Amino acid sequence: MAGIIEKSLNLIDDIINLADVKDVNFYTMVLEMMSSIFVNSSLGIFFLENESFILKSALNINKTIDEYNFQKTYIDKLINSSEQIIELQTKKDALLYKNTVLVRLKIRESVFGFCLLSSDSEIDIKTKKAFLTSVNILSYKIKDYELNEVFKIQLKALQDAIIEKDNAVETVKKQHKKLQEMDKAKNLFLANISHELRTPLNAIIGFSQALDSKIFGELNEKQAEYIKDIQISSLHLLGMINEILDISKLEAHAINFSPIELESKRTIEEVINILEPLYKNKNIKVEFISNYDGIIKADYQKFQQILYNLLSNAIKYTQEGGKIEIISTTCDKDYILKIKDNGIGIDKKYHNKIFKKFIHLNNIYTKNQSSTGLGLTITKELVKLHNGKITLESELNKGTTFIMEFKKMVL
Amino acid sequence: MKKILVVEDNELNMKLFFDILQYQKYDVDKAYDGVCAVEKIKNNTYDLIILDIQLPKLDGFGVLEKLKNENVNIPPVVIVSAYAMDCDKLKAKKLGINNYITKPIDINNFLKTVCEVIDEN
Repeated sequence: MAGIIEKSLNLIDDIINLADVKDVNFYTMVLEMMSSIFVNSSLGIFFLENESFILKSALNINKTIDEYNFQKTYIDKLINSSEQIIELQTKKDALLYKNTVLVRLKIRESVFGFCLLSSDSEIDIKTKKAFLTSVNILSYKIKDYELNEVFKIQLKALQDAIIEKDNAVETVKKQHKKLQEMDKAKNLFLANISHELRTPLNAIIGFSQALDSKIFGELNEKQAEYIKDIQISSLHLLGMINEILDISKLEAHAINFSPIELESKRTIEEVINILEPLYKNKNIKVEFISNYDGIIKADYQKFQQILYNLLSNAIKYTQEGGKIEIISTTCDKDYILKIKDNGIGIDKKYHNKIFKKFIHLNNIYTKNQSSTGLGLTITKELVKLHNGKITLESELNKGTTFIMEFKKMVL
Repeated sequence: MKKILVVEDNELNMKLFFDILQYQKYDVDKAYDGVCAVEKIKNNTYDLIILDIQLPKLDGFGVLEKLKNENVNIPPVVIVSAYAMDCDKLKAKKLGINNYITKPIDINNFLKTVCEVIDEN
């Protein structure tokens, strides 16, 4: 560091000596000298021609174009506002911060230029800031009032720009934190809502099931029909509540995955039974082809949910009197589950989209079907939790098959 | 006749549990809050407790903790709750409860679980 100061000050002395020579190649010589000393440095040099104050040249500006621009504006302002020759109090003036030096180039009593030197190839923002502060202090030593003002104005603009930038970063950070908190609050709110909705739904589903099972006596045809309608609507509502809760859990990474040993056949049959009112109502035939009846290792509730989501979708998008097949097979230790329907199918152009959040294909295909648009997103995530992948084969008007391959699920 | 205590604060849900359990020929007792549940369990012998989590005065977890702290012999418990977050299930597991049914219940599954848990014990 001391080296740089030494060199800078020597340089000024050399320039002063040279000035007496009044050589026509004065500037060229100075430039060459500086280049040889600060060959790998950031260096901007600005010459003011005595009395006319014209920016003459700048050196090595490629790397530090910002510094150069700053200096240029700085000098331009200086030129425009000062018509008098600047008087300096001290003969030798150099300012150092870290590895950057500001020197004023003078001849006798007159400043003819400023020089910013740095041993770094780039001057970092902190250094620049400190440097600017130094210039501010320096400016008080300069007698010329207008020059002082220009310094101040220029400095303030630059300092403001830096503060503004810092503030902007701070604001973005604050907003980010706030958004995260809001997201957390949203998830908590959804979990609470889900709980509040389940309580009355328990009574609705429970009482209608009790009536439907006829344990308390026979129902007439209309009553039986209405009870079925209540059940279908409440299952629909339950499905939506579950989806909202699931997505909030998945997003909060609050999902607990605990695989246990399950009887594959029984686990699947339970889901088919739950959905019986839905497919019977549409007169859809559901066939379960179980080529593997053994034990699988899966999370009981989540595995059932995968099947529930896909099967209820299949029911939704299959016409009256249609057919759905559930096929379970194995391939070595991998468990393969297919849900095949002969429903309305999905156009190829939507195949990549359907696992994304809030995609409603029913808007395109069917009316009167409401959903959250979260079902398949959740399903895909749940399959992933089980170390599996889900794909589909589908053609418009011919049906859809969802294929799931679960790695090493078979025990 | 097997004796079951249903701890549930919602009047309609209580009615549902009471009706279907009674229909299955269980002797059903009711508690509408946690404190009442603790008292009843201390003073009676039950074959099974159907326990909700969100309850007035003392919640379901609180009931289990209180019974444990007072060294009361705890009958088999089936938690039936609308708390569908996994952490609640974990909490229940930690308290030694492995039977957890999420509301809304499927009556057939519910009755099957009740029957199985009583038989196992």
